[in-house]
Amino acid sequence: MNALELDKVTKAYDGLTAVSNLNLRIAQSSIFGLLGPNGAGKTTTLRMILRIILPDSGTIRVMGAPLTETVQDRIGYLPEERGLYTRMAVRPLLVFLGGLKGLKESEANRRAKQWLERFEIAAWSERKLEELSKGMQQKVQFIAAVLHDPPLLILDEPFTGFDPMNVAAVKNVMMEMHDRGTTIILSTHRMEQVEMMCDSICLVDHGKQLLDGDLREIKRAYGKNTVRIEFAGTRNGFDLARFATSVNRYGTVVEARLRPEIDPQEILKAAVAQNISLARFELVEPPLADIFVEKVTAAHA
Amino acid sequence: MHKLRLVIAREYKMRVRTRTFVLSTVGLPLLMAAMLFLPAYFASRHSGGTVSIAVVDEAGGLGPLASSALARSRTATGDPRFKIVSTIEHPANSSRTVEELTQQVLAGKLGGYLEFPAKVLDGGSARFYTRNPGNLTLTNALESAATQAVIGGRLARHKVEVADLKGLLARVPVDVVKVSARGDAKEKGQTLYVAIMLGIILYTSLLFYGINTMRSILEEKSSRIIEILLSSVRPFPLLAGKIIGVGAVGFTQYLIWATGGAIVVSYGAMMLSAFSAGSVGFHFHFPLWLWGWFIIFFLGGYFLYASLYAAIGAAASSDQDANQLQVPITSLVVASFFLFTVIMRNPDSTASVTLSMIPFFSPILMILRLTLESPPLWQVLLSLGILVASAVGVIYLSARIYRVGVLMYGKRPSLVELARWIRYS
Repeated sequence: MNALELDKVTKAYDGLTAVSNLNLRIAQSSIFGLLGPNGAGKTTTLRMILRIILPDSGTIRVMGAPLTETVQDRIGYLPEERGLYTRMAVRPLLVFLGGLKGLKESEANRRAKQWLERFEIAAWSERKLEELSKGMQQKVQFIAAVLHDPPLLILDEPFTGFDPMNVAAVKNVMMEMHDRGTTIILSTHRMEQVEMMCDSICLVDHGKQLLDGDLREIKRAYGKNTVRIEFAGTRNGFDLARFATSVNRYGTVVEARLRPEIDPQEILKAAVAQNISLARFELVEPPLADIFVEKVTAAHA
Repeated sequence: MHKLRLVIAREYKMRVRTRTFVLSTVGLPLLMAAMLFLPAYFASRHSGGTVSIAVVDEAGGLGPLASSALARSRTATGDPRFKIVSTIEHPANSSRTVEELTQQVLAGKLGGYLEFPAKVLDGGSARFYTRNPGNLTLTNALESAATQAVIGGRLARHKVEVADLKGLLARVPVDVVKVSARGDAKEKGQTLYVAIMLGIILYTSLLFYGINTMRSILEEKSSRIIEILLSSVRPFPLLAGKIIGVGAVGFTQYLIWATGGAIVVSYGAMMLSAFSAGSVGFHFHFPLWLWGWFIIFFLGGYFLYASLYAAIGAAASSDQDANQLQVPITSLVVASFFLFTVIMRNPDSTASVTLSMIPFFSPILMILRLTLESPPLWQVLLSLGILVASAVGVIYLSARIYRVGVLMYGKRPSLVELARWIRYS
């Protein structure tokens, strides 16, 4: 069964189409990446899944059931724009938000305590949010999304505002929930995270689906047409542009998408001819970031 | 329903616990009481002691009359107000006497001296010389004593001897009696006091709690928690919970005031009259039926205005936006306050009846009419019906603006845009 199904979902604001004819199938227990440039319609899509706004047409089914208030209780949400009642104390706030998701007060209290201990802010549980640091507020916000242990968890840029230690903590929670069968929808601009975590993705722009499906398959379809070169010493004006359609430079590492007619061996020969020493020479699938840029650029053209 | 209850409970608890609530609940009645009673209290305290005075009688024969009249005047604590140090009849050297007495006043030996000029019996005024002319209680007592003395002197000229001058000169008070279908009640202008007081309370609380609702919604919007809330609750229970929660806080405040007021009126009246020397001895006539109408009209008005303010809070993205957008609504509340005078002049005129039917004014103006006279029941019910119907309509429209507005950030929407939001599916 699919955790989430969108059929021909369309939403327009004052004649401007935010989402048009979106079809999605998200398998249960998967981690799904919803990608797209700013203003592509991602937030509108997420809001429709959460029933914050209603689509103009099309249907949305969560766990096979049409969206109702009870279904809403089975979704957890971490919005990109974080916000909480700053004048409320941490624990009562979590109990209130848990209550809105259908948790009993005693149960919400018990869980809130556990989570606050796990994220090492139990000492702050009776303090007002405005007294907490930004990082601690982010933790509270994340706890609010998972407190009711939802079978569907929607995370919009979950790692922003966290230091590397807390990123790891949040990621661990996500993986634990994933192991227990939680379906996770991840919306982010950080492609390396999508590549590491997601099973399948959907790329949207201007409200339209550009790409959709299993991440491995998508990458495989592009083939190993990219070379990743790590220079051992100086690169001494070694020019890759004549071999490649695009070049990404990261200091000592360079990634180049080869022109279709180029044989990778030619690059190696050229390097030897120019007396340039390489630490690594590798043929890889294109990084998701490149696919993203290519697809979006093509759609705009 | 469960979620609605949670929203109401949170809103209520958060507000009742704030310092603003405690301060305004305790502070406002104290402030009102202070404004009413402190001047009287200080006035009576000020003239509390006995004042030594001298009487200079250039007309002749007025000294004993003045002395006995002055001797009857008592302070709030029952002590004689005046001690007559000396009475000088027909002074040999008028200017020297005056100069000596002035020196004594300046030296603090005398509180002042009362001078009756020679022609005072033919008309004209007596004079009181003192360092502190602002003491009105003292001046009033002197004036009544001087009047008695001079009238006594004039009567003596006509060979009329009167033993009890004070009784003869007693004023005849005119009690204004309100005639109403509910039976007659003797009143002393207190109807007006009650009307103004109720008007002020309604006016302040409609504004205060309305704007509170607006700010609270704007805060949820700008802190972005609205997104979390809307992912758990539908917009309508969220809006309704907010309005009911804030309204319940206002209601609580009224209950506290009413209970406190009842205690003060029944047990504190004696205490108050003790130090206000009877000068502000009014008691409020505040029947139960009026209290009932007051609550009903407050609720109607509150729901009408709070949902208007709520729509503004949802449409605005910043405090400045909100402040600009709320001007027309606040003007309506302020207008009903200024329309007070129309009702007071004639609560039964066509203008008064018409105005008390308009839902934006009726919460304040109908209560005013109910206090001042007895409008026919059908008028009260019609006005209430119009108020309730408009409140329901406004709540419906506001909810539609709210659900779109809370997710819209950026520039202030125009009226056309607001109308379009209402029509969104």
